[in-house]
Amino acid sequence: MTTGDGYQEKVRRIYRFISENFYLNRPDLEIKGERYNSALLFGILTALYGGKELIIGEPGLGKTTSAEYIGCLIYRYPLGVIWGSEVSGHPEQTEEKIVGRPDLGALNQGREVVVWSNFVQLPVKIVDEINRLPETKQSMILDGVDRGNWEYLNEMIINDEYVLFATANYQDRGTNTIIAPLVDRFDVLVESRHPGPNLAFQIGRRSKLYNPLRHPEFERKFHELLRSQVPYEEKVPRLEELCEAYGQYLKEKVGIEGLSKEERFEIRKQIASIPLDLDSNAFLRMVLAEFSFCHRYGQKRSVEQCQEGCHYTGYFCYHVKNCASNRLPISAVGYAQALAWFLEEDEVDLEHVKAVLPFVLAHRVQWKDSYISKKESEGRNDPLQIYLAKEAVEEIFHRYNEQRDYLLEALAVASEAFEGREVQLLDGDHPIYEEIKKEIAALR
Amino acid sequence: MKNPFEEFKRHPSKERSKEIPLDRILRQKEETLQRILRGYENLLKNEAKDLVWLMQYSTVIKAYSIAEEAIRDIEYTAEDIEEFCYALDRTDQIPYLITGPAGVYISALCNYAKESEIVLRLQDLGIKINLLGYRLPEGKRLIVEGNLGDFTGISLEGGELIVEGSTKNYTGAGMKRGRIIVRNNAGFNTGHGMTGGEILVGGRIKGLGKIVGGKIYEKDQLIFPSEDYRPFYF
Repeated sequence: MTTGDGYQEKVRRIYRFISENFYLNRPDLEIKGERYNSALLFGILTALYGGKELIIGEPGLGKTTSAEYIGCLIYRYPLGVIWGSEVSGHPEQTEEKIVGRPDLGALNQGREVVVWSNFVQLPVKIVDEINRLPETKQSMILDGVDRGNWEYLNEMIINDEYVLFATANYQDRGTNTIIAPLVDRFDVLVESRHPGPNLAFQIGRRSKLYNPLRHPEFERKFHELLRSQVPYEEKVPRLEELCEAYGQYLKEKVGIEGLSKEERFEIRKQIASIPLDLDSNAFLRMVLAEFSFCHRYGQKRSVEQCQEGCHYTGYFCYHVKNCASNRLPISAVGYAQALAWFLEEDEVDLEHVKAVLPFVLAHRVQWKDSYISKKESEGRNDPLQIYLAKEAVEEIFHRYNEQRDYLLEALAVASEAFEGREVQLLDGDHPIYEEIKKEIAALR
Repeated sequence: MKNPFEEFKRHPSKERSKEIPLDRILRQKEETLQRILRGYENLLKNEAKDLVWLMQYSTVIKAYSIAEEAIRDIEYTAEDIEEFCYALDRTDQIPYLITGPAGVYISALCNYAKESEIVLRLQDLGIKINLLGYRLPEGKRLIVEGNLGDFTGISLEGGELIVEGSTKNYTGAGMKRGRIIVRNNAGFNTGHGMTGGEILVGGRIKGLGKIVGGKIYEKDQLIFPSEDYRPFYF
């Protein structure tokens, strides 16, 4: 989508600026002939779309760093303010540190006043090492971020815009499980990888004395405003004024233009208006069918086991335990639209959907142990979850290519049947054909 | 309720074919197999006119270049290679089988396959294919489930050949680099003339050939070079 407003160029410059100066890493994703680093690209798409991203990786490989720089440049908050709003995961973390606390001075005078945390007030929310938080506290954050509502005592604030970046280390003694319903709330999962010895050496040589994105004077002003007892609704426009001033500094001194709140809202509107072409639409239906279909029990349920000798053993429904949630298509369509916007395309096509699907699926699919043990020792460059999701997308894409015309025809016939015409629905081996029949049967 | 298939109304409704996608897939598979079989027959006509094939280095090289030529324009997958192996076992599909050229031909198919990893499930194959893994290049991984015959993995060029079974004589002969893993046993003259790479045999090796370089392990023990070994050219 070329809009002529230059937003895409601004965003691409931010991508280049971060990748050349702050988050040095190798490209690991090719889309339409262009190579990108997946952690950085999806971080930027998350910031634009207003999504939730889970970043995994070994300690010290830039998981938090990538999120901080993206948040700083796209939302125009000084780095020190972003740092001051981060929640770090540890078992002793409390609601009072994450959400808000009573104003003790006011409480002494018999008044209940809440002092909201910076994390709650800022649109850029970073949770470092989320899997070090006990499950109940993970849930507290994600419930808030799910709707943007934050409650403490009898007060509530509602964020009209927010983005969540959470980092997670691989399992060790200090980590907890992120339970399935919470994992499902993340739109995408990416890995922040080792950049390779040569780039790592460059990182080691860089000076830590000066960071142009820090600005102590602006940071002080932001902190003063965030600490003040001004009502949140009044604080938001004043924060935006400070962002505007800091954005001006970025433009003049760093040569990078961030995005104003108005621009971000306009971009989100543009993203949401990008249509999906027929191929990406049908392919996504096919993917959803494989991850939700069960011939025997009507749909996948994590408490039910597949039967030996099921006709559908060749499809992914046989290799997974759980059912795809409704958040899966929301994330897949949203990120595919955001990617199409970023690449200035008028429609979401197969390549956009294929590029985002592995990252949207990776954390949501619970693979059967038998499938994991079969696949885990295969040579790969990605962590197992992303690798399995990429393999699955490729395999379903292969099936889609084999029966593309037939499937589009089946969906066209289904459309006629839905409108009441007497037509014979098309048969096929793939679960999607069964699902189409169920849909029409439910109407008749 | 909104029509959930509405977008597909735009899809032009064609004369609906009675053919289901599976028919087309099977037809394509059959065509590919026929082309692979024709290439093999062509190799036999050129290389084994009298149904005799003498295993010599020069004949292997020549057979391989004919095989390369024969498969050049065929679009195939690892599954088609497996299908071809089983076709070799069926007299109705193949006029005659000579395991040497067959092995060279299958090796060429594997070496030029699109996939970097190829799995051939040959446990039920009645014959033992010779020369499989010939010149397997770097970046390729060939996993064979079942036993193989003589000259397995000869002249390996950096690839990884895993045999989930046993191999016969001259395994890894003349290999330059890469790795051969044999889960069970290997025959006589294993590693004969090899100059580099590794052969790992999980079971017993009947005997080693004259080895120039590389490493050979038997049941996790390094047996070549042994501690008292001194390369003859020193």
